[in-house]
Amino acid sequence: MSSTDNDVMTRKLWLHDVRLVIHQVKYEQLFFWLNRVGAIFTVGFSVVFLVMLGAGSGNQRVASLGGIRLVQYYVPGFVAYGVMAAGFTTLAITLVVRRETGLLKRLRLSPLPSWVLIASIFISTTIVALVQTILLLVIGRFGYHVNFPSSWLAMLIAILVGIVSFSAMGVAISAVVPNQEAAGPVTSIVFFVLLFLAGLWFPLPPGSGLAKFSNYLPVRHLIIAMDRSFQIPKGVSPWAWHDLLVVALWGVGATLVSLRRFRWSPRRV
Amino acid sequence: MTQALRVDGLRKSYGALKAVDDISFDVERGEIFALLGPNGAGKTTSIEVLEGFLKRDGGGVEVLGVDPGDRRHLRWLRDRIGVVLQELAVESFFTVRQVLERNAGFYPNPRPIDQVIELVGLSDKGDAKVKRLSGGQQRRLDIGLGIVGNPELLFLDEPTTGLDPAARRTTWDLIRLLSSEGTTVLMSSHYMDEVEALAHRVAVLSRGHIAAQGPTASLGGRNEGEVTIRFLPPPGVEMADLPITPSRVEGGVVEVKSRDEVAALHTLTGWAIDHDVALAGLSVTRETLEDIYLALTRRDRDESEGRSS
Repeated sequence: MSSTDNDVMTRKLWLHDVRLVIHQVKYEQLFFWLNRVGAIFTVGFSVVFLVMLGAGSGNQRVASLGGIRLVQYYVPGFVAYGVMAAGFTTLAITLVVRRETGLLKRLRLSPLPSWVLIASIFISTTIVALVQTILLLVIGRFGYHVNFPSSWLAMLIAILVGIVSFSAMGVAISAVVPNQEAAGPVTSIVFFVLLFLAGLWFPLPPGSGLAKFSNYLPVRHLIIAMDRSFQIPKGVSPWAWHDLLVVALWGVGATLVSLRRFRWSPRRV
Repeated sequence: MTQALRVDGLRKSYGALKAVDDISFDVERGEIFALLGPNGAGKTTSIEVLEGFLKRDGGGVEVLGVDPGDRRHLRWLRDRIGVVLQELAVESFFTVRQVLERNAGFYPNPRPIDQVIELVGLSDKGDAKVKRLSGGQQRRLDIGLGIVGNPELLFLDEPTTGLDPAARRTTWDLIRLLSSEGTTVLMSSHYMDEVEALAHRVAVLSRGHIAAQGPTASLGGRNEGEVTIRFLPPPGVEMADLPITPSRVEGGVVEVKSRDEVAALHTLTGWAIDHDVALAGLSVTRETLEDIYLALTRRDRDESEGRSS
């Protein structure tokens, strides 16, 4: 075979793999929306919480954030929640279930390259996060007169950094969860404790011990980065590079754990 | 190339445990070859090395002519093999058609979906959700996923474990059908009757090595050994009056061991017709695969106990 033939072959294979990614993303999406648990936990929760909290105490003003309405604080918070729920909780539970039922092993033994699977899961998670961001923004805008982000680009970058890092954390925790029964409880407890510490449900008083502690965790930083893209508190720059760096560092750490601990096959009893 | 699989001195350990210790066998194209053995004998480990899922510690392996441990060949190989795991690995909220279409998309030359659905006998279930299928139907869909890529070689790891007798029979029929279409099958099982019904050749695995291998019908020379003739003697007939000498009598049933069953039966039935008497429950049996299997693994157990004491 001449070298030009080789080049043609390589290019065809590359094109073939791109088509495989599109094929697999289609079924990852189908998997996500048919498996209603994930959809309810991610998109459903954030929308319902926004509607409920917005209707309840949405018009209260928050002095520590420059007097903005509470519902304005909730919109970026729940965008961040959705990113984390899709990347962390939903992905972790899905991976454990797929691993323990042998689905991952079967995929591993099919011609589907591992990188195509990983890319497809990442793209699919991003689609879910974007769908729910649009829902939240539309509900916030037309239901509660909440402003759109001050910088769309800043919000998009925060979403992408969040998806990558929290997906890596989801993969890492799935690798240490032993079985299907533990997957839901373990990841949910870790997630809701992190959310509580990070002030999703109410703004943390600046300078408090809780605020200091949560500075070392990724959740609060993603919420801050999302807030900043909406210029919350009033008058700040929409770019939060420092916060995104912290989130990214957690992603790097989680990737290292995943590389060491990830398993394709179920645990044998 | 006529051999689908060549295994020469394969070894694989988990820490101190030698899961597979120097096994060798070949599988011809179009053949159904079975690895028979109890749990922990090394069947799944062997299969997973051949699938390229596990790295081997030593020995030579060729699958469809390439080394499954060599990453450069892995994708080429995965295009051409099918795998059915012990676990029923199918997403429960997809329909039968959706799962098959998804997996078909992975392969360069898949079978048409409708053909697969018909082959595995799920023609009226194409649009049913997987969770609505019975255990046997799910297993058949699972095998459908194994063959949707049109594989030259199919790995079946304990394909009927946990199935009811009727579902086992339909699964057997499916495996025979695939074999008749030219698919090579490497299967593992701990059921003697399954191996006897399906496999052309068998290797009996015990504690990580092969205790015996050969054509299923003649394993351990059982096609040439003694047969046992059993019958109830007619009422009022003394043992001494019988035309052949009983090997033993148990519960009134006479057992005769013979290496020449044609002559022995001729003598016996000729005598019965001459004396106008019945031979109730007359049967002729050869050593079963189970007898051979138990004898082989027992010898192995005794040997290893002898060494360790």
